[in-house]
Amino acid sequence: MDGTWTVTESTLAGPVPDTLKIVVAGGFGAGKTTLVASLSETEALHTEERMTSISVGVDDLEGVEDKTTTTVALDFGRITLDPTTVVYLFGTPGQRRFSYMWEELVQGALGAVVLADTRRLADSFDSIDFFESRAVPFVVAVNCFDGHSTHRPEDVRTALDVSQHVPVLLCDARRRDSAKEVLAQLVSLVLRLAQADT
Amino acid sequence: MSAHDEEWPPDADLMRPYSLTGGRTRPSRTDLALTAQVVSVPGSLPSGADPELELIVSLCVHPLSVAEVASRAGLPLGVTRVLLADLADRGCVVVHTSSWEYRRPDTATLRSVLERIREL
Repeated sequence: MDGTWTVTESTLAGPVPDTLKIVVAGGFGAGKTTLVASLSETEALHTEERMTSISVGVDDLEGVEDKTTTTVALDFGRITLDPTTVVYLFGTPGQRRFSYMWEELVQGALGAVVLADTRRLADSFDSIDFFESRAVPFVVAVNCFDGHSTHRPEDVRTALDVSQHVPVLLCDARRRDSAKEVLAQLVSLVLRLAQADT
Repeated sequence: MSAHDEEWPPDADLMRPYSLTGGRTRPSRTDLALTAQVVSVPGSLPSGADPELELIVSLCVHPLSVAEVASRAGLPLGVTRVLLADLADRGCVVVHTSSWEYRRPDTATLRSVLERIREL
């Protein structure tokens, strides 16, 4: 075993990339997994954190009839921007009782996307409150799927009561170009905040 | 052992992964962020090691995040962290945490990230 503790990065294969973490939140069935899958270069990845029996509950399924199982696991995706920069996108577990996981997810996160479903706008309140309280920059993306795209961003902003500096945009989480624009809007926001700080 | 730990049901599928860790649910180190990059040190794992450890070391020939290791090894995140911490303590893997985990990238980096996202 001698010497193995003194190994340096230069002896390892290739560069070790720096990583950016972006959190994708929103109500149950709002399209978090879809958005991550649209952007990820690999098949969307999945891992589980085992829950105790008290943690396992049932979500309110009203209005999201197509989704019959709860997400007690972490869906995530990867975008390699270049050999030294990788972006990871993490969908939040959809239930507040997994809040310890939310705390870990926002730790060191660049920012967050709150996906809103106009049929269940109130489901976004939790995420918005959470990111506001942790000072995590976020954008609100209204996922327009199944023809529910009749809302204007400004109406959604009013309904959600988010401040003027928070970008609110419409998207289709299934479309890569649309999902990409959501990400770009978030990074633009973080850039504006960084510029304001300097 | 807290009351919380005693809630674990006697489910074989649930218990098996933690038998790999000798029942431990907490890793020996705290630098195992979800996005921390793990790289294996060639030839460092003795032959005859647990297959799960061999799998992890073989997955990390190229840098891979803690979350990806868990996903690709098909192990729960908590178990993966305990095993990775053991491997790091034994010098079989090196863990690299991005400075961006602690502070926001500078504006030049953010501009470059934005450009690359638009080019995707």
